[in-house]
Amino acid sequence: MLYPLIAGVLFGLYFSLVGIGLNLVFGVMRIVNLAHGDFLMLGAFVAFGIYTVAGLDPLVGIPIAFALFCIAGLLLYWVLVPRLQRARDPEMLSFILFFGFSQVIEALTTIVFGTSERSIPSRELANSLAGVRAAIFGGEPTNGPFRLLGLSFPASWVVAATVSVIAIGCVYLYLYRTRLGTLTRAVMSRRDEAIATGINVDRVSAAAFGIGLGLAAVAGVFAPFMFGSFTPAFGIDATVTSFVVVVLGSLGNPLGTALGGIVYGVSYMIVQTYLSSWADLLPYVLLIAILLLRPSGLLGRRVRVA
Amino acid sequence: MPDTVRHYLFIAVPLLVVLAVAPSVYNNHLLLFNFVIFFILAQGVNIIYGFTGYLPFGYVGFFGAGAYGFAIMVMHLNAPAPLAVLVGGAVAVVLGLILTPLLRLSGAYFSIANLAAALAVLHLIANPALEQITKGPYGVALNGTFNPTMAYAGGILILALTLGIVVYLKNSSFGLALQAVREDSFSASMSGVSVVRMRTIAWRASALVAGLAGGVFAWYVSVFYPDNVFSADFSIFAIVFALFGGVATISGPLIGVIILYGIYNLIGFTTPQYFQLIYGLLIMALVLFLPAGLVSLATRRGWNVP
Amino acid sequence: MSPDAAPILEVSGVVKRFGGFHALDGLSFHVSPGEILGLVGPNGSGKTTAINVISGLYAPDAGSVSFAQTQVGGMASHKLVHLGINRTFQVPKPFMSLTVKQNVEVARTYGGATDKSPPMADLLEEYRLADVANRPASDLTNAQQKMLDLVRALATQPKLLLLDELAAGLNPTELDWIAGRIKALAQGGLAIIVVEHLMGFIEQITDRVIVMNAGKEIFEGTLAVAVKVPQVIEVFLGGEHAA
Repeated sequence: MLYPLIAGVLFGLYFSLVGIGLNLVFGVMRIVNLAHGDFLMLGAFVAFGIYTVAGLDPLVGIPIAFALFCIAGLLLYWVLVPRLQRARDPEMLSFILFFGFSQVIEALTTIVFGTSERSIPSRELANSLAGVRAAIFGGEPTNGPFRLLGLSFPASWVVAATVSVIAIGCVYLYLYRTRLGTLTRAVMSRRDEAIATGINVDRVSAAAFGIGLGLAAVAGVFAPFMFGSFTPAFGIDATVTSFVVVVLGSLGNPLGTALGGIVYGVSYMIVQTYLSSWADLLPYVLLIAILLLRPSGLLGRRVRVA
Repeated sequence: MPDTVRHYLFIAVPLLVVLAVAPSVYNNHLLLFNFVIFFILAQGVNIIYGFTGYLPFGYVGFFGAGAYGFAIMVMHLNAPAPLAVLVGGAVAVVLGLILTPLLRLSGAYFSIANLAAALAVLHLIANPALEQITKGPYGVALNGTFNPTMAYAGGILILALTLGIVVYLKNSSFGLALQAVREDSFSASMSGVSVVRMRTIAWRASALVAGLAGGVFAWYVSVFYPDNVFSADFSIFAIVFALFGGVATISGPLIGVIILYGIYNLIGFTTPQYFQLIYGLLIMALVLFLPAGLVSLATRRGWNVP
Repeated sequence: MSPDAAPILEVSGVVKRFGGFHALDGLSFHVSPGEILGLVGPNGSGKTTAINVISGLYAPDAGSVSFAQTQVGGMASHKLVHLGINRTFQVPKPFMSLTVKQNVEVARTYGGATDKSPPMADLLEEYRLADVANRPASDLTNAQQKMLDLVRALATQPKLLLLDELAAGLNPTELDWIAGRIKALAQGGLAIIVVEHLMGFIEQITDRVIVMNAGKEIFEGTLAVAVKVPQVIEVFLGGEHAA
């Protein structure tokens, strides 16, 4: 029982990172980014490129992926979103628009890279930090499995979980310790009033969109290690998983996503361990159940029913 | 002549006649059959999305359930094919009944939950633990009922029924009330419309035609895997075709199928990613520039498009 | 035109909470056929919430709503429509992509119109919508959409009509005209509840007003008397009536 619990928490922290960008974008703009998983997939390609072309530690991909997709997000925001917000039903239209966008990304990636599955050997992740690890935990410089409470876990899981905690911490600092973050929270809680009080909603939203895509790409850097391999078609599954995590934690509340991720990760690992043939069903059943029984999420206050 | 009769006579009947004689002059019967299937599915999406505003991202769930309803009747009960097709429709309606609570969700929440539901049904049927009943991931082979000519005829009958439903919705006060619900559900209930009942009826009608289509598809191909009949492409194509032509009309989804599925067959088979790219871009252009579909080019000029 | 009939609607002790906030906190009042009752009070005093509870959008958390001797608190809106309750909306909510005629047709078909109902053409003529009958509702001006809301409500032949800020945004000539229409409807036996900020308009048409504050009634009587009651003046801070 201990193994699935710890593995579940490690995975769960990572899943929080997977979902948090989606939630940030939804919370601020009421826009459903169906292409979220595709940015994860592109992040995975960044890690792959860094490793195969430049021969560097995939960890180097984190700042690169974040910066790259942050900028891409800002540009995309100005191209797509203002037009959408003028429409009569932006939420539904954005859903369809970003679905089309996800198809474009998937198609372009397939055209450029082909459909084959790719992976990166797990020991390559954070290899450059083996010395640091030895300095902290003692022993020889190694990138082998971590031992926790007598059980061993792949180093890549621990690294991904650690980076996720740091990233979520940064989101927290952004939202609660910066001016733009404070405005972001104002827009999230009452968009119309925020507009009325003269907040530059476009600036806040563009920032949130950029950061959201950046975080998705950072999560993508770890995708080859957490999911074993990836293909250009991997985006849609990642989007659905992100939705489960986000809805579990409550839509529109980015920090709730951390809780959603852990709940999801632990239940996934438990089902995987004890009922493995049914594990694939879990995310979908969980998503439907939570939407119907507690549409506001575990932490939420907003109820979204027709 | 009442509009109902006029619309059926001048839109549905010519299409049905063309499709009925086409196999004797055109050799690619599979392509013709696929056209019939997509006419049905695009109109099925029209029934639920065009008239009630619920975008069924997991529409293929009904199609796959119908196909497996057919397969199980034939494999385990040796049922004659036409009866098995009807059972396929019934299975989809039952699935629709089970999923009725999803209609409590609004907008994107419904679409995501519906997608999750379709994936849940896929993983349930493809589960090796159910091999005795569904043959799990290994697929089914139904040699006993193989009869493409009869299956094609069955498809045309189902299309005739589907068009009948759409023509009725377009011209009846029932269809008008559904559209009223789509526009503003509270205002509709203040017009005396029982909102929940209306939506449920449309939902089941839409499930029925997809289930029948799935049944007749299983009859036609007779060998298939869960991934074939639950392929997200069915949902995506049906939605894109319907949206492209213009929903809440009789002709819109038909035009969408003829144009887009036509293009798909010209360029799609050898390099599907190029078609994916094109329809991804088409969806985006549609949302940004022509959210009401091709027919809105005419309705904007004040022409009445049936 | 003072009402003498027994009340058709009786609201007693109705409570409606949103989270910890009591939007209605024990509201009680009644209205009789042929009577025009004004609901007035500052923003957030619960006027629109009261309308929403009576028309079935929200179920009351406590208290009772009885209409024509039937308990209707929490009943589905379309059933209330069939019993004879209807309303308009502060922000008009027509079916935007449907034509004006189609809007009214839905209400006539599903709202229980009978042979005795006024013909659609008459209704559209009467509320100045005949010229735009075949245009989609989204083409109408705000004032026209309000009239369409009203016509939609009237097409279901209500016995009780709830008007939520129907007059806001109309010009003085239109105000006089619609005041006349509302009075005529009441003379035909309709019970009418009017929520309105324009006190002149309230004065012109109502027989009686309920002044609300913080989810309950603090005064009941004519507006002329209300404006002399210290508690009422305090609630309005001398603001709105002067305007």
